[in-house]
Amino acid sequence: MPGSMTQPDMGAVMTDEGVRADALARWQQDGWPGPRVEAWRFTRVDGLAERDLVPATALSVAASSPDSGPGAAAAASISAHVIRFENGILDPSGLAALPAGLAVREMLDDEQALSRLQQIAPKGHPVSDLSLAAMTGGIVIDVEGTVPSPLMLLFEGGETGASAHPAILIRLAPKAHLQLAEWHQSDVGLAAPLIGVDVAADARLEQVKVQAEGVATTHIAATGVALGEGASIAGFSLCTGGALARLETHVALVGSGADCELSAIYMGRGEQHQDITTYMDHAVAECTSNQIIRGVLDDSSRGVYQGRVHVAPDAQKTDGQQMARALLLSRKAEADAKPELEIYADDVVCAHGATVGELDATQLFYLTSRGIPFETARAMLIEAFLIDTIETIENDTLAGLLRPVAEAWLAGGKDL
Amino acid sequence: MTALLEIRDLHASVGDTPILKGINLTINAGEVHAIMGPNGSGKSTMSYVLAGRDGYEVTGGDILMNGESMLEMEPDERARAGMFLAFQYPVELPGVGGMSFLRAAVNARRVEAGEEEIDQLGFVKIVREKARLLGVSDEMLKRAVNVGFSGGEKKRYEILQMALLEPTMAVLDETDSGLDVDALRIVSEGVNLLRDPARAMLVITHYQRLLNHIVPDYVHILAAGKIRKTGGKELALEVEESGYAGIDDAA
Repeated sequence: MPGSMTQPDMGAVMTDEGVRADALARWQQDGWPGPRVEAWRFTRVDGLAERDLVPATALSVAASSPDSGPGAAAAASISAHVIRFENGILDPSGLAALPAGLAVREMLDDEQALSRLQQIAPKGHPVSDLSLAAMTGGIVIDVEGTVPSPLMLLFEGGETGASAHPAILIRLAPKAHLQLAEWHQSDVGLAAPLIGVDVAADARLEQVKVQAEGVATTHIAATGVALGEGASIAGFSLCTGGALARLETHVALVGSGADCELSAIYMGRGEQHQDITTYMDHAVAECTSNQIIRGVLDDSSRGVYQGRVHVAPDAQKTDGQQMARALLLSRKAEADAKPELEIYADDVVCAHGATVGELDATQLFYLTSRGIPFETARAMLIEAFLIDTIETIENDTLAGLLRPVAEAWLAGGKDL
Repeated sequence: MTALLEIRDLHASVGDTPILKGINLTINAGEVHAIMGPNGSGKSTMSYVLAGRDGYEVTGGDILMNGESMLEMEPDERARAGMFLAFQYPVELPGVGGMSFLRAAVNARRVEAGEEEIDQLGFVKIVREKARLLGVSDEMLKRAVNVGFSGGEKKRYEILQMALLEPTMAVLDETDSGLDVDALRIVSEGVNLLRDPARAMLVITHYQRLLNHIVPDYVHILAAGKIRKTGGKELALEVEESGYAGIDDAA
């Protein structure tokens, strides 16, 4: 296979053994999936192998101004503690002065943490292997009790020829509670964050992700979540950036009574390609999952939602819902939705639906007949289409981060 | 004096079907005109053509407001120039908050007139005052536009919009449809409060009963795309007694 991405500089992998060496071996065997791999049929990434991208190796934090970007401003607005990555490399200053309940350290060669991250990470996903192997910065976040203030993981950087491979393991102890914001806004060639979240019994993670990468950036994120008994995650992603972006999340509901809310909004214009892929694995009884996906696509942009809900034979009383709706603002825009149910238990409530539509001409006429200019009317209806999704976020603090990003997109601005 | 609204030999089609076949109508400021007609006569088409709805194509003639042709104007431009259509079937807008909708409409009008936009607090006060007169509850104002409203509530909400936008030319399309006697009275009282020497109204209705409450200066009978007969308010009573039969022959 040609290209430097298939032969990343693996100087950091010091030994021939261990989790990262294994990941490297798998990556060298598999590489980027080709167009015939079903899970990647709608989103082509094999072109990445031709790109001359190199994992970032040097931190240039001194040259940047970490407190001035939109992500830092957003963090300040909710008094979040910020841990920042630049071009995928950890800025260690974020590990100091942590809020009570948080312990964060570098992952380095912690085989136990690496192994757990590898276990939780989406199986068969290229970034699960590549970002373990080429890890540009890794941290382990341990959460005990209720953390009083939100944590923001801020991913920035302007190295257009670099690939960023941050690897993060988040472990919530029993009954812990964390509010987490991920803010991705860089101009790196490839942003490939790998995140594993281990939520122990009765713990809760409230999470929002803003994907506002630069116009030329490819963003391929792999996130794995394991939910123990009575554990819950309320996750929400808002994707407005990048040339091509795929957010893939695999959730294993392995403890009875676990609950997963995993919703997303994607917004595309120009030639952007936005992909939301999820795999919900109901392994045990009495778990619930709910996914609401909304897409708005203008110009020649394309949106993809693939959602698979798997219900194991023992997972009775499962409630699994997924609803995807896309709004096409242009004749050239395209939306693909593939919700799937695989149910091997008989006493379950599962439903899925997917619709693709345009703005309602009657509603537009009603608004404009009141003197509201056409563009304003259009923006009002798009916002209305999205608003009830954002309103499902229980945590107002985190939800407040998303509204300005969505509004900036609606206002047509590329800059947040 | 230039007429507030002048419709000259108006022809209009929906798709390939001609619906309006030569309407002539002149409305002066301060006047209330009623258009009555049987189903399919072109009443609703006329209201949509006046408001500028897509798909209602003018194939001949002209519509002038204050002497200026409106045909090239978009619906929002017509509205800001003083045109208002109270819909027969007000449109539900899930997710669009009532107050932000009303304020966007009022501010669009104010900006056009070179006035300052009105702030949220000042606006709430104005809306509450007018809403009370029309029996529009605070609870309705908080909801998304027309979502979960009864038929009567929707019509009252239309009149509230009219009261806030203060149009010079108001077209009321079958405002009486779906209303019981009490709702009809409330809506009519609201409309009557808005009668003004500077404002004209065109009341489109199938039945005479609305015209007991909103008493018109002129009544026109529309049938098969043309105005067949014009008279005073007593013409409505004639129609009530003998129906629309025979009107066609009179043309």
